[in-house]
Amino acid sequence: MPEFLLDPSFWLSVGQIILIDILLGGDNAVVIALACRKLPAEQRRKGIFWGVAGAIGLRVVLIFFALQLLALPFLKVVGALLLLWIGIKLLQPEHEDGHANVAGSTTLMGAIRTIIVADAVMSLDNVIAVAGAARGSMALVVFGIVISIPVIVWGSQFVLRLMDRFPVVITLGAALLGWIAGEMLVTDVTVKPYLAGAPHWLHYASAAAGALFVVAVGTWLGRRAKPAAVAPIREIPLEPPRDRHA
Amino acid sequence: MSLRILIAVDGSAYSLRAVQHVLRLRDAGCAIEPHLLNVQIPLESGHVRMFIARESIESYYRDEGLAALKEATAALEAAGQPCSTHIAVGHLGQTIARYADEMKFQLIVIGSHGRTGLKHAVMGSVATEVLKLASVPVTVVKNA
Repeated sequence: MPEFLLDPSFWLSVGQIILIDILLGGDNAVVIALACRKLPAEQRRKGIFWGVAGAIGLRVVLIFFALQLLALPFLKVVGALLLLWIGIKLLQPEHEDGHANVAGSTTLMGAIRTIIVADAVMSLDNVIAVAGAARGSMALVVFGIVISIPVIVWGSQFVLRLMDRFPVVITLGAALLGWIAGEMLVTDVTVKPYLAGAPHWLHYASAAAGALFVVAVGTWLGRRAKPAAVAPIREIPLEPPRDRHA
Repeated sequence: MSLRILIAVDGSAYSLRAVQHVLRLRDAGCAIEPHLLNVQIPLESGHVRMFIARESIESYYRDEGLAALKEATAALEAAGQPCSTHIAVGHLGQTIARYADEMKFQLIVIGSHGRTGLKHAVMGSVATEVLKLASVPVTVVKNA
């Protein structure tokens, strides 16, 4: 048995990566399903296949770039700050405004384009977080990409149901992003020399501080942003609206 | 005056059992005004909104909702019982309980999947949540 399989920190990273993939991959699944919905059945199958293939290819490229970049001085600090921000954003309530003005695409190419562009934007957080959690292990990076595939392809209903039932999953995920950010911060090549004499537990203290920071700031901002009145129940009219596209 | 009944429907066989129970109430002589409600879990995070138009998401909710309501509506119609149908978007248990409250229903009837063990731990029970949150009487039709 390879030695790393006996290392508890390896399994900790595996757990972290699975949680990240579930938490940050649900959106991709929803976009893929919705972007292909208006296509005829045969094209829809193709659209989903090529959309997923493109999204995963893009993710492989992005993650290898991320790994190279994270080795450069100071960039882990930047990555850590990005993760803190993503974690805090995860805890903010959703607003009704800011919908895309694009009409649903009815061509195969249009649907695939939507999926890939969306993935380029949406997988940035996933890529940084996975690169951070993998701590330079190529096996873990590959594992992270492999696990994200079923989540993207089949996971949307499961992820939605899980979050509907356990909203605390979102807080946990945000805390995890803060934890990884804290770890990344102290392993940056520019920061490391200053910490040469620091006790070995500093690494965990920094991670815990990151997690606490994200949950505290995220919750505080979330409370402030929440409207005072309870939003009315959102009912969907049974008849589609008659508009220019209909 | 007839009893305003809200039947929560998710398209499963369990919600059909809830419909059958309501028909039994009618056959026993109770004057009923049944409404079917399907709730869709909201899809739109900030990212989804950035790439998918609002109309596409609304029509997704509508199609999924109508599909879930189809069999239950047909079962009521087959029994000669007129009914209204509704689709709402939100947290499942909360939305059913609030809908009944705000729309002045006098009874919620909901089927239970009867999940146990691990499946229950992960998927949970919407019926249990409705019981906890509702301010009107709730009848849970258990999976026998």
